[in-house]
Amino acid sequence: MSNEVKENGVSRRTVLKGAAIGGAGLLGGGTLLSSCGSDEATGPVKFTARTNDETGLKIAQALVDAYTAETGIEATMQGSGDTNAFQDGISQYLQGTPDDAFQWMAGFRTNFRADQGLLVDLSENIKNLGDQMPAGFVSGATNPTDGKQYIIPTTWYPWGLHYRKSTMQEIGLDPEGLYNWDDFMKLLEGTKKKGLIGYALGDKGGWEAMGTFSILNTRLNGYNYHIDLLNGRAKWTDPKTLDVFKQFEMLIPYMNKNVLDISWDGMRDLLLQKKCGAIMMGSWWANDFKAQSQADYDDLWIVPFPEINPEFGRDSIDAPVDGVVAAANGTNPEGGAAFAEWCGSENGMLAAQAAGDTSLYANSRLDSSGYDAFNKQKLAVIGEAKNVMNFLDRDCRNDFAGPIVGVQIQNFLKNPKDINKILEETQAAWDALPPLA
Amino acid sequence: MTTTATRVKTRRRRAFTRRDIVTLVLFIGVPSFLHIFWVWIPALSTIGLSFTFWNGVKISDIKWAGLANYNTIFTASPQFYDALQNNAYWLLWFTFIATPLGVLLAYQVDRAIRGHKIYESVYYIPVVLSLAVIGIIWRFMLGPAGLVQVLLGHPGIEDAIPIFGNYSINTYVILGIASWRHIGYIMLLYLAGLKSVDPSLREAAAIDGATEWQTFRKIVLPAMAPVNTIIIVITVIESLRAFDLIYIIYGTSTGWPILGMLVFVNIYGQAASMLGAAYAVILFLLSIIPIVFYLRTVFREDIK
Repeated sequence: MSNEVKENGVSRRTVLKGAAIGGAGLLGGGTLLSSCGSDEATGPVKFTARTNDETGLKIAQALVDAYTAETGIEATMQGSGDTNAFQDGISQYLQGTPDDAFQWMAGFRTNFRADQGLLVDLSENIKNLGDQMPAGFVSGATNPTDGKQYIIPTTWYPWGLHYRKSTMQEIGLDPEGLYNWDDFMKLLEGTKKKGLIGYALGDKGGWEAMGTFSILNTRLNGYNYHIDLLNGRAKWTDPKTLDVFKQFEMLIPYMNKNVLDISWDGMRDLLLQKKCGAIMMGSWWANDFKAQSQADYDDLWIVPFPEINPEFGRDSIDAPVDGVVAAANGTNPEGGAAFAEWCGSENGMLAAQAAGDTSLYANSRLDSSGYDAFNKQKLAVIGEAKNVMNFLDRDCRNDFAGPIVGVQIQNFLKNPKDINKILEETQAAWDALPPLA
Repeated sequence: MTTTATRVKTRRRRAFTRRDIVTLVLFIGVPSFLHIFWVWIPALSTIGLSFTFWNGVKISDIKWAGLANYNTIFTASPQFYDALQNNAYWLLWFTFIATPLGVLLAYQVDRAIRGHKIYESVYYIPVVLSLAVIGIIWRFMLGPAGLVQVLLGHPGIEDAIPIFGNYSINTYVILGIASWRHIGYIMLLYLAGLKSVDPSLREAAAIDGATEWQTFRKIVLPAMAPVNTIIIVITVIESLRAFDLIYIIYGTSTGWPILGMLVFVNIYGQAASMLGAAYAVILFLLSIIPIVFYLRTVFREDIK
């Protein structure tokens, strides 16, 4: 079928796993001459952060300041404004007069724009980084259409069950020992009895619940089925897909009643305010816990989503890779590429870390021994999985993920009884998609 | 007859000085050019593109699709009929509730009931705000941890009453918010019209013993015919083009789908495809047909 998203195959998953456990010392390009963002690019560089929150902007400012200090090249940054609007309008933005470099997401969202000629080929820059960039990340950043890289991976994070150790202690539960679905149900029942929300969810944005859907699908039907489903090789009308939603329905009694009224930040706040037991979410907002207080950050913990089907165990995880890309239509594309490369380099990473970025780094020089307890746990959570996914809206075509899958999960949460009709509609919508140009 | 025509023609030609021509070119030519360039060319391109597959980047990628986009919308869109329904609710609500309320208020204010100045200001205030600003205000008030939630005794996010995500009430909430502005708008337009109705007409009616309702129906309403046309057209357009309020409240997740939002999501969003163009054409036809029809009837009556 012509409307499939091409994948990078096994290499990325297996090698990423290696990177997660071992940290440094993977294959890589092997060049010792790994220069840090030099080249002849000298003009001023403009950089857009893919965020508008305080911590994110602080990190972006620290990046441009450190870049200027190191290279003497003038660099300025701006926030994304409304981040959702920025992401929605990215194709239009890149056809206008974009900033030279901006933070973006690996996977379909990058590769599709690269195919349209909107992004700068960063293959040379990845080569310059040499052994700093583990092969798994290079592979993850590779566009399957032409085998080139258009994004410099910087950070990544796992999707898992986040909870506060103190809350669980107060109610006498131990999620660390949680392994299978029964344990999980007991945990949810326990939190509910204490008058807290067991499984907090906010899906106003239409994408938050995709994380729950993806993990349930991989737990029940396996990684291959999930990727096949997202790319049209499996059917939404298959009873196996229906099972996923039946499983999802079992969580609804433990959810807050206003799922469609709150967004991801509502979920984060529920956890921050100790109003809920667990949330299924990526860990990128851990920065906000740290910004609140070190004690809050130390209290935060993550475990893998429980096993449902022993055949697949806990072998898959969403662990999206974020990075920096350079815009082909920017005023200084070479400068943007050099800046992107620098962001992925050791010095760039250290600058972000110093400014309060708690993410896991792609760069292998920042070995995992320097990570705090929460980051080590994040690595362990990723390390347990054999299959690493990029998150639903980066693993499948954008005109299917947002306008169809996201909407249909909302429709399911609105009225779970309609699920058969919803799945039929979803399949019909897939079948009606035009060929992927 | 031919002679008259020629005479008119020659006279007119003679009347145009050089300066007149320059003025005409400036006053008709420039706006026409801008209108064609900014309105008609994009509109016609949209109609053309609605019959293609394209992701909006490279012109060379445009592929002929025939009616495929329309077929997808009518048979395989999970949201099209919901959106159509919501636009229909909006139109019905505005036509039968919000607009008549605005007219009623205008009438009462015009009759100078006690405190009419205060009413006039109070109802007019929301009109100075754009729907986007109104969306922000109400989202803060009704959303989790918002003022209304706090007043209702649900200050926390965890027990916030579902409002925008509650599908048994959100239609009414949104239409209520939209009416908050629309009523004042209609009131103001109608009030302006009422001021221009000769008061002696009403006095005459009152002397003849007409009731308030009779005066309104038989005297005021017919005297207000041009304003009525404007108000009907505005009501239809406002209902169909609704977008900003929904975008502010729900973002692009289309929690309460309407056609304007589907156009936006499918043409501008990350999922750019010409489905958006097809939605735009559908919306265009829906807006233009009733209005053309209505205006034709009205103007025909005027000519009589």
